[in-house]
Amino acid sequence: MSLNAIVDEKIPSRLHMVPAFVASVVKKLRDIQIDEDTLFDLKLCLHEAVVNAVKHGNKEKSDLTVHVLVKVSTKEITMEISDQGQGFDFNKIPNPTTEDNIGKLHGRGVYLILHSMDHVRFLNKGRTIKMVKALRQE
Amino acid sequence: MNIKFEKIHDITLVLLNGELNMDNVSRVREAFKKVLKEKKSRVIVDFDKVPFVDSSGISLLLEIVQSFAKVNGRMCLCHVNKKIISVFEITKVHKLFNIFDSHEDALEFLK
Repeated sequence: MSLNAIVDEKIPSRLHMVPAFVASVVKKLRDIQIDEDTLFDLKLCLHEAVVNAVKHGNKEKSDLTVHVLVKVSTKEITMEISDQGQGFDFNKIPNPTTEDNIGKLHGRGVYLILHSMDHVRFLNKGRTIKMVKALRQE
Repeated sequence: MNIKFEKIHDITLVLLNGELNMDNVSRVREAFKKVLKEKKSRVIVDFDKVPFVDSSGISLLLEIVQSFAKVNGRMCLCHVNKKIISVFEITKVHKLFNIFDSHEDALEFLK
């Protein structure tokens, strides 16, 4: 199964630039004719992962970048987002759906990713998140 | 994000047009602060023209629901698309939002 990289970019750690960057990636994904539901999930997870990388990974430090790699095959889309921060223990992410946490105003990004993608792995001590979404076969 | 306000009797209808994402949450927050300041405590938020919500959009909705609760007000959502509903369901926040298919159902709830 050959994977074709449609995005391989380093972006600055600026939160206000994230939505426009995500929109540019979504435009490329739309060009390869992905169904709207899958596109929604990819957009959501890319957005959440890049925001986390900029905000929690790189702490919005202007000298650090976020590397985004998006690969496409006939069967799946793979997105890898890497920051240059300290990493984190992904086993310690609180469950935002518990009674204590459900009303809290933050902490849903990773949970949304874990439940919207088909495979999610944290690599390099949590500095990289690798997400895979299977494409619907016609 | 465009935000329009309409009145149905003494209930405020807020029509959002655009993505409820990190880019727009400040603008929407300010609009709702104005609604609360004007003592409009019963509100329907129409999502018909909202195609996408991210986690910051969810946070904002929770913040608004909590603000209305503090003044004994009530807010509900209507015309929410199925993908946004699924995002609410994944994070279980649908339990905290009152979601209706139509203005009529929402109005009945707020009566």
